[in-house]
Amino acid sequence: MVTSAVELTSVGKIYGYGATGMVALHDVDLAIEPGRFVSLIGPSGCGKSTLLRIVAGLEEADSGTARVHDVSIDEARAAKLIGLVPQTPALLPWLSVLGNVTLPQKVNRGASRRRERIGALSERAGAGQQPDMMQLLRRAGLEDAADKLPSQLSGGMQQRAAIVRAFGMQPDVLLMDEPFSALDEFTRESLQDQLLDLWDDLKTTVLFVTHSVSEAVRMSDTVVVMAPRPGRIVDVIDIDLPRPRNERMFAEMRFHDYEDQIRDSLQRAWRSADAA
Amino acid sequence: MSTVSERTAGTTATAPARSSEPSRFSLQHPQSRIGWIRPRVWLPLVVMLAVLAGLWQWGAVTMPYLLPPLPDVGETLVSDLGYYLSNAMVTLMEAVVGLVIGFVAAFLIAVLISEVPLARRAIMPIAVVLNVTPLVAIAPALVVAFGFGPLPKLIITALICFFPILINTAVGLRSVPQQVLQVYRTIDASRIEMLAHLRIPNALPYIFAALRIVFPLSIIGAVVAELSASGSTGGLGTVISVASSMNQLAVVYAAIFVLAVMGVLLLGLVTLVERRVLHWHTSATD
Repeated sequence: MVTSAVELTSVGKIYGYGATGMVALHDVDLAIEPGRFVSLIGPSGCGKSTLLRIVAGLEEADSGTARVHDVSIDEARAAKLIGLVPQTPALLPWLSVLGNVTLPQKVNRGASRRRERIGALSERAGAGQQPDMMQLLRRAGLEDAADKLPSQLSGGMQQRAAIVRAFGMQPDVLLMDEPFSALDEFTRESLQDQLLDLWDDLKTTVLFVTHSVSEAVRMSDTVVVMAPRPGRIVDVIDIDLPRPRNERMFAEMRFHDYEDQIRDSLQRAWRSADAA
Repeated sequence: MSTVSERTAGTTATAPARSSEPSRFSLQHPQSRIGWIRPRVWLPLVVMLAVLAGLWQWGAVTMPYLLPPLPDVGETLVSDLGYYLSNAMVTLMEAVVGLVIGFVAAFLIAVLISEVPLARRAIMPIAVVLNVTPLVAIAPALVVAFGFGPLPKLIITALICFFPILINTAVGLRSVPQQVLQVYRTIDASRIEMLAHLRIPNALPYIFAALRIVFPLSIIGAVVAELSASGSTGGLGTVISVASSMNQLAVVYAAIFVLAVMGVLLLGLVTLVERRVLHWHTSATD
């Protein structure tokens, strides 16, 4: 049996205490196979970002366990198995784009040793080696921007640099928290394509938080639908569309069927939450 | 978060906003250099100086006991230039060495309190009390304790420089955006790595904002200390107190003029270094 890239077992998280406490996550089970692109979708307050933050080790679950490649989150972080792309590019304004994307390789240098001790977790080619960042930048169309400061780039290019930075860490699990939500539609679509392009090469496991139904269908192998009050998983929908995906596919009926299916699922969750 | 220290911080913690206009990087520098050739840029200042000098001369003629005639000030400056310069060096050394001591202490404590919340709660109230206590009042006591040598002057200068650097550095170290910290926390960057790669570079604009405040303050500290220690052997503060007791107004104002020039030069130095170090930041191009 293949171990899951991400495995959550009855994970719960409560903000606040007692009667005023808000149940952000209630009894969440989720197992993600290595190499899959999984989207989390749901209205605000459904705990999708909380779930991501728990996998990133930025928050701890109040109950249940979260594991990455069958080791604890702390061990996974120490071995640099996890990469994060936050909502904003979060680049350092004093470093060039190249400096920004290579900085993660300069911190936590003991990680590769720990990675080996945990065992060969991923069979991906070249995993754990230092990637050629210039080549990655070139793939993302940022070759000319390598020596520029982040403030000299557009928002879309900055977010692209943030994605290159994350791929450069060669994480086994890549966590993305609504990375395109601040971008205009055209920029967003071109970044979605580029992300899929990079991902096709590296086939890292992706956990992608979004609030856009079409984005979820477009990108994912699996869409996890979540609902609020309490935050929980209500549906797991496999998207059986071939890859690489292209514009023509998004005009097909099948694509819209998946969209409708997810919308239905979200609405049912809403109604049950309101009734409760 | 609303402790006394936090509220006082607002007065000195003034690192300007980051650039949103990329084009300014390439445009600003050449413009500001060529700019001084155009009369529109330098003429207002020259006119203003001429008006002030005229008013001064008029005051010197009508109130000879308050203001010395400008030619007298110029004359003593030229004829005793060596005297002024050697005393200026004494004051400058006190100011700079005191500032360096204050800077090192403030920087280390800022790192400590930003990393250890307990230390923050212990140290900040004391630092605030130290800041609100008038140093002019402490200076004579320090002279009594440490004599007429350089030590009390260095202490006073260091003290006066300490607080703005402490507050600004602490704010700068803590103001790294959350999402940046999260990216590096997820790959388990150590605290030292976070300090070296994220927090200290992030604090640099704040530190330079503090230095702009503190360089002139360091001269004030040194002069106040010299004035309090009336038996001191050198320094422009001593020159002023001796000359004023002998009613040599021209000498007093000559010394004040030298102090002003010193302040301007120090500020220019900070700006120059800031431009090199903070080329990525908007404050460097202002």
